[in-house]
Amino acid sequence: MPHTTDIIRALEQDSLISLEQAKVGCEFHIRFINGPACEKLRQMGFCESMRIKKITDGRNMICTVCGTKMALSRELAHQVLVEASS
Amino acid sequence: MDSDLETIALAGNPNAGKTTIFNALTGSHQKVGNYAGVTIAKKSGEFFTPHGRKIRLLDLPGCYSLQGDSPDQVIASRVLCGQDPEEPAAALVINVVDASALERHLQLTLELIELGLPVVLALNMVDVAENNGIRLDPAALSDHLGIPVVSLMATKGKGIVELKQAIRHPLPHAAETPWLEEGMSAEQKTQARIRHIQQTCELAARRPDAAQQLFSDRLDQFLLHPFFGWIAFALIMFVLFWSIFSISSIPVGWLESAQGALQEFVAKRMAPGDLNDLITQGIIGGAGSVLVFLPQIIILFLFIGLLESTGYMSRAAFLMDGVMSRVGLSGKSFLPLLSAHACAIPAIMATRTIDSAKERLVTIFVAPWMSCSARLPVYLLLVPMLLHREEGNSMQQGLVMATIYLVGIFTAFAVAKILRKKLGPDEQSNHFMMELPPFHPPQWCYILRHVRDRAWAFVKNAGSIILAISIILWALQTYPKSSSEDPAEKLAHSAMGRISAFIEPVFAPIGHDGKTGAAILTSFAAREVFVSSIAIMHHVEEADDEVETRGSIRSQLQATTWADGRPMFTTASLISLLLFYIYALQCLPTSAVVARETGSWKWAIGQFTFMSAFAWFAAFLAFQLLS
Repeated sequence: MPHTTDIIRALEQDSLISLEQAKVGCEFHIRFINGPACEKLRQMGFCESMRIKKITDGRNMICTVCGTKMALSRELAHQVLVEASS
Repeated sequence: MDSDLETIALAGNPNAGKTTIFNALTGSHQKVGNYAGVTIAKKSGEFFTPHGRKIRLLDLPGCYSLQGDSPDQVIASRVLCGQDPEEPAAALVINVVDASALERHLQLTLELIELGLPVVLALNMVDVAENNGIRLDPAALSDHLGIPVVSLMATKGKGIVELKQAIRHPLPHAAETPWLEEGMSAEQKTQARIRHIQQTCELAARRPDAAQQLFSDRLDQFLLHPFFGWIAFALIMFVLFWSIFSISSIPVGWLESAQGALQEFVAKRMAPGDLNDLITQGIIGGAGSVLVFLPQIIILFLFIGLLESTGYMSRAAFLMDGVMSRVGLSGKSFLPLLSAHACAIPAIMATRTIDSAKERLVTIFVAPWMSCSARLPVYLLLVPMLLHREEGNSMQQGLVMATIYLVGIFTAFAVAKILRKKLGPDEQSNHFMMELPPFHPPQWCYILRHVRDRAWAFVKNAGSIILAISIILWALQTYPKSSSEDPAEKLAHSAMGRISAFIEPVFAPIGHDGKTGAAILTSFAAREVFVSSIAIMHHVEEADDEVETRGSIRSQLQATTWADGRPMFTTASLISLLLFYIYALQCLPTSAVVARETGSWKWAIGQFTFMSAFAWFAAFLAFQLLS
C-alpha cells in the first residue's frame, strides 16, 4: 500500500519537467533529484529548491547553479526535475 | 618535518583557492590553477601563528563531499575522517569556500562540523561575489554556523593575517549541529543540510534577483559555441605549435651562439688531445646540443600554464567530451592527456580526478603517447631533414609537427577504444559533470615560477643524465684506440663500434644502422639524449651558431650511407625514426609513476613492453612500405 506522501510526490513529479527538457535561457527551481546519480548531483550543488538557469543544450548542457557554471550530460540532466521560476 | 606539531588541514571544494592560501601561509610554491583538480595529492608545510607557535598545515585535494568516490576526493576524506594512518588527526580544519557559490560549498562545511572538528571558514573570493551582486554578511554567517569566518581575497594576499589571527590558541571549539536530529537517515540528513544552507544564505549571502551577465559569460558564448568554440580551440593549438618554432628561434639563436663561442674558447686554450675532445665534443657538444631546446620547452610550459590559470582548460575538456566519448573516455580524461604534452608524469597523477576506475586505467595507459616536451628536441632535429630544408620555414614545419602530435593522439584514442571495450562497462555508470570556473586574469607569478621550475628541471637533466651519457658515449667511441687514421676504422675498432655492430640486426629492419640504434638505446634514459648521442656518434663539430650546429648534424646524417653506398637517412627511414619516437615509452620515471598509480608493476611493465614493441613494429611497417 503506497504511502500518501509518496503518492503526492509522484503526482507532483509528473507535473514537472526534467532539466533535459527545460528551455534554454530560462530560470528554474530544482524540485526533485530523482535517479541513480542523485547523491552525486547533490554533492555538486544540484539540490532541491536551488535556482538554476539552463544556458545551452546539447549532448552535454551548461547551466548555472547558484552562480556556478556547470556542464552535465543529458543522462544527469534527466534526473533533475525543475519548475519554472515565478 | 616535525611529527609532534599540531596539524591544521585545509579542506574545501575543488578550485576554492586552498593551495593559494596554503602558499600564502607557508611560503610554499605549490602549483595553482583555475580548474577543478589541480591538487591531487596531500601536501604539507609549516607556518607560525601570530603568537609564534609552529603549526603543520596540510593542503588536501578538493572534495565536494566526504562521500566523494574519485581517488583524489578519497585522499581528502580519509584524512578528515581520521582514517589515514600516515596522518595525525587534524586539530582544526580551515574550510576554504568560494563566496560566490556559497550554497554549493557550505555542504562540505556542514559535513565537517558534523565530524566534530573545530572549523574556521575561509570565505575566499569575496571580491568575485561582490562583483556578482551578492550581499555578503560574514558576521551573520559566523553566527548562523557557529564557527569563525574570515573574508579573504587569497590571490591578492588579502585576509591572510586575519586568517592567522583566527587560528591562534586556544583553538575554537567544535560547533553544534542544530540541523540534525536523532535517528535521521542519510537522505534525511542531506535534506536537513540543504535546508540549513538555504536559511544561512538567506541571511548571509543574498543573491540579486536577476542574474547578471558577466565577462566570463560573454566569453563562454564564443568559446563554448558548437562551431566557433572549435575554431577557437584549433586556433589556440595552432598558435602554441607555431610559437614553439617561430618565437623561440630568437632565444635559440642566442643560446647557440653562446655554445659555439664557449666551445671555441675552450678549444683554443687547450692543447689538442683527448681532454680537449672530451670537453668540446663530449661535454659542451653533448649537453649543449640538448640545452639549446630550452626556449621551446619554456614556451610549451608557459602556454599550458596560461591555459590552466585562465580557466580555459575546463572549457577545452567540455568541448572534447563528445570526441573522447567515442573512444570510451570522457572530457575528464582530456585534462591529463593535454597536460601529458608537457610531461606524462604529472598527467598520470592528474588522472586521480577521474571517477571511473576503468577510464582512469585506460587514460594512464595511453597518456605517454601524447608527445611530451622531451620528444621535442628529437622532432626539431628530424623534421627539417624530412622536409629537405633548413630551419626557419616555421609554418610548414609547424604543420608537420602538428601532424606528428596528431599521430600520437589518434593512436592513443584507437588503443583506448580497444582497451575500454576489453575492460567492459563500469559497475556504476559515470556521466560527465564538470564545473566551469569563471575566467580569471592569469596569475603570472605562479605561472612564471612553474615555468622556471620546469626549465630548471630540464637544465638539471642536461647537466646530469645527458652529460653523463655524453661522456660515456664519447669514451666508448674513443677507446680502445686504433692506430689507423681513418675515422670509420677508428670507430669500428672502438667499443661503440663493436656494440653498434652487435645491435645493428635489431635496427636494420627499421632502416637504421647500429650507430643510430645505439643513440636510440641511450635515449631510453631520457628521450632528448638522442640528439646529443647522434651528434657525438657522428663527430659533429660545433659551429658558432646553433642553427648551424644542428644544420651540421643534419648534413652529417644526410651524408651517412650504408656500406653499399645507399643513403641511410631517407624519407622512409626518417619517418620510421619519428614513429619510433612517437610511440616508444622511453622514460623510466613514467613507468615508476604508472606502477604507483595503478598499484601494480604488472601494468607498468606491460605498458613499457607493449609500447616498445608497438614502436618497433610501426617503424618497421613504415620503413618497409615507404622504401
